[in-house]
Amino acid sequence: MVALKLIPQLLSWIGIVLVLLRGFPGRRSIVTAASISGFVIGVAGDFILFRSFPGTIPFGIIKSALGVSFLLLWGISVATIYRSTGQGVTISWGERLVNTSICAGTGALLTGIIAGAVCACRIPAPDGNLPALLFLVLVAGILTFFALAVEKMLPASLTVSPSGMLAAVVTLLLFSSSSILRLDLFSPLSMKVMKGVHDFVHQFMESILIPDHLFVRPVVWKYIGFLFGKEVGFWGGIVIWFTPAFLIALAIQFERLPSVAHIRQGAQRRRLLAAAIKTQRHRLVIPLFSVVILAAAAYQSSFPSTEYWDPKPIPISANQAGEIIIPKKGEIDLEDGKLHKYLFKQGGREARFFVLMTPEGKLTVDLDACAICKPDGYGQAEGSVICYYCKTLIPLETVGKPGGCNPVPIAFIEKGDSVVIDSVTLINSWSTTVKATARVKEGGK
Amino acid sequence: MKRLLRALMTAASSRALAPLVIGFFFLLYIGIAFFTDETLITLMAFTSKSLILAALLALIPLNYAFRIVRETLRQFAMHRALTGKPADRMSELFGETVELQASPSFPELESRLTAVGYKTRCSENALTAWRGVGIFPARILFLAGTFCIFTGILISITTRTSHRQMVIEGEPLPMPEGTGGRVERITLANSSGPILSRTLTMEVAPSVSGYGKRIFGIYPPSLYGSYFVYPRYLGLALLLRFSAPDLPTGYEKQFFLNCYPPGKEASEEIPNSPYRIVFSIPEPDAGSDRYISYMTGNVTLQFKLLKGKEVLFTGAAPGGGEFVRDGYRLAFPDIRRLVVTDYIGDYGVLFIWVASLIFAASGCIWLPIRFFFPRREMLFRYEHDITRACSRAEGRARIHAGVFHEALDLVDAGKPDRQSIRL
Repeated sequence: MVALKLIPQLLSWIGIVLVLLRGFPGRRSIVTAASISGFVIGVAGDFILFRSFPGTIPFGIIKSALGVSFLLLWGISVATIYRSTGQGVTISWGERLVNTSICAGTGALLTGIIAGAVCACRIPAPDGNLPALLFLVLVAGILTFFALAVEKMLPASLTVSPSGMLAAVVTLLLFSSSSILRLDLFSPLSMKVMKGVHDFVHQFMESILIPDHLFVRPVVWKYIGFLFGKEVGFWGGIVIWFTPAFLIALAIQFERLPSVAHIRQGAQRRRLLAAAIKTQRHRLVIPLFSVVILAAAAYQSSFPSTEYWDPKPIPISANQAGEIIIPKKGEIDLEDGKLHKYLFKQGGREARFFVLMTPEGKLTVDLDACAICKPDGYGQAEGSVICYYCKTLIPLETVGKPGGCNPVPIAFIEKGDSVVIDSVTLINSWSTTVKATARVKEGGK
Repeated sequence: MKRLLRALMTAASSRALAPLVIGFFFLLYIGIAFFTDETLITLMAFTSKSLILAALLALIPLNYAFRIVRETLRQFAMHRALTGKPADRMSELFGETVELQASPSFPELESRLTAVGYKTRCSENALTAWRGVGIFPARILFLAGTFCIFTGILISITTRTSHRQMVIEGEPLPMPEGTGGRVERITLANSSGPILSRTLTMEVAPSVSGYGKRIFGIYPPSLYGSYFVYPRYLGLALLLRFSAPDLPTGYEKQFFLNCYPPGKEASEEIPNSPYRIVFSIPEPDAGSDRYISYMTGNVTLQFKLLKGKEVLFTGAAPGGGEFVRDGYRLAFPDIRRLVVTDYIGDYGVLFIWVASLIFAASGCIWLPIRFFFPRREMLFRYEHDITRACSRAEGRARIHAGVFHEALDLVDAGKPDRQSIRL
């Protein structure tokens, strides 16, 4: 079962090793040794991290490493397109640096560390499952040698540019992490883009003194309102996600062909140009392959195979004193660590909320809505709850704390074996939160 | 010193500078996003308060100003070269430069290039051929637009001031410093424009401080003094008379109610008493404009009187009318139109507006030229028994290169000692 779960990560690992071997031609032994060592360090590091810290910190560290590698890819892709569209094509110091054995070793080691850490996160309870971790290292080692053999069979004309190599390695790492909810980058990116676009549009309209919606035609405002929706977050995320790979492909396409003006035989000129164009096309293979991998990662992130625990809200009412009383034990065990949803209705108004026992053993009562998104509610999976609207994961440890996309916490008291909530507080809190978020998402400024 | 200045100039006009600065701010944005949800506002606040960040941001418009100068000088040099005059660093001006040890037959070359659609200019020792239109004007407009937009952003972030005031019909126009002329009339009307559904005008009489009669609209906002008058929301200025059994002396005060659109509640406290009144405008009859009460001035105010948390009663009364019940009396002797207005001190807005116009013009010029008439140029110059040939293309480069190479073959044809040097 574990082996099946690891298939995407292990396939990515083979791809990574292949690309590294092809990207650093002539440095096969260094790349092989460094990548295997890196993988082992990554798995061991995961084991130590999960043993030493609560779950959020190791996941945070690995996710940050993936985020930094994605930013690095962005930086390199922008530099590459600038270089290829500028005057005078020269081999920069960066390219010379890439061709050194130190760079090959360091790059393979770092890649191995991140890949190993990501793979280890896929194993259940990585802080105690030592046999599974050892098995993982063994399989990765075998696959490295398999990749070594496959690389020898690939056509020599299939060359990889340094930027193309980086694109492929980073995208394979992102693909590898996209099937692990807490390491996935695409969904959080979409959410941040949604918020960023919202802030930017709002500030822009304020900056250039655009009138408020009461003066603007509803149809125009509908278009402006579109900029505040989650679709913009998704498509904006897609643009940010794919742009580096496309920039690198474009940079290769825009590379100036060698000057043949000094050659006086037309046939020779054409032969040289044709050879240069052919090489250019072969170098496009890896960036375009990266685009496909990124698409797979985005799909995996948008439609995860995880099933969320999302119980149907149970209708509940308040007593004469306006108190909602829920027993901790009974038909439903509030302390079982699962999300328990309730629906409270009063005088035409209603509020949806849930009760949850956090991993620290504290009960928390929260609205089934956050202060940012439309109230599509939350589901529970793999040590976190997920906001269905923006797909942001909230670690269980932080549920009950206000801010961001966290569920809005509601004050409550524990009386004996029951949880007591003030119905007026609940309904008012729902009204203000939902009114505000629905207005924003429907295009209000 | 000269070398240092030249290095500084090169750095300041480098194509890499703006992306580097933007990249830095982007990283800063990501960093801030870890700590707060109000990322953009926080970044703007940091930039407005930090001299270093502001100076860093200022590098972008500076860079574009230098690039305008640099690209203009380059264009002059190119023009000079193409008119047959000697120019420095020819290889930097053109995409491809080659030297041939051959003496060209310019008339033959000229007829060949003319036959394939190039215009030519021939002098004693130089031949220039070109076709299409240069994108230089569009390029300069684009650079100027980028300069303006970043200058606007810089000015906005570092100097913007905002003062919210209530502009009330019949009263002097409030200003951040002193007052303006009397607001003679506020008019809200429906509009048939493609963007705005309503127009709002505020007519202001000449002021004692020297401002003439002015009429303020919605967009673009007008400048008054050194501030843009930016109407935000509609409301009412209500003169309220209130008395209650435990408040027999009564209470009179003008309230500013931000109560539009209809249904929006505006809550006001009666000072030194447990009373609070929540006002709202009722929804108009079906088929009527939601803002009909504001347009006509016939306002009926709904209210809810609260004592502490307890609702005593609800009611409604028109402007000039009153409501009496159980010893309570609410009178609305005067209701006037009000516009919640921001006075924005920010000249950066002008730069941003100008930038959008320049970008539009640049795009309109660039698109047809680049796709239908891209500029292609070549120059053949014969000096000291050497022919120097240069070529550049802003589009359709492959076809142009083919013509150029054939022209070179023609120059070189029949010479006993064929040799060409790529520069």
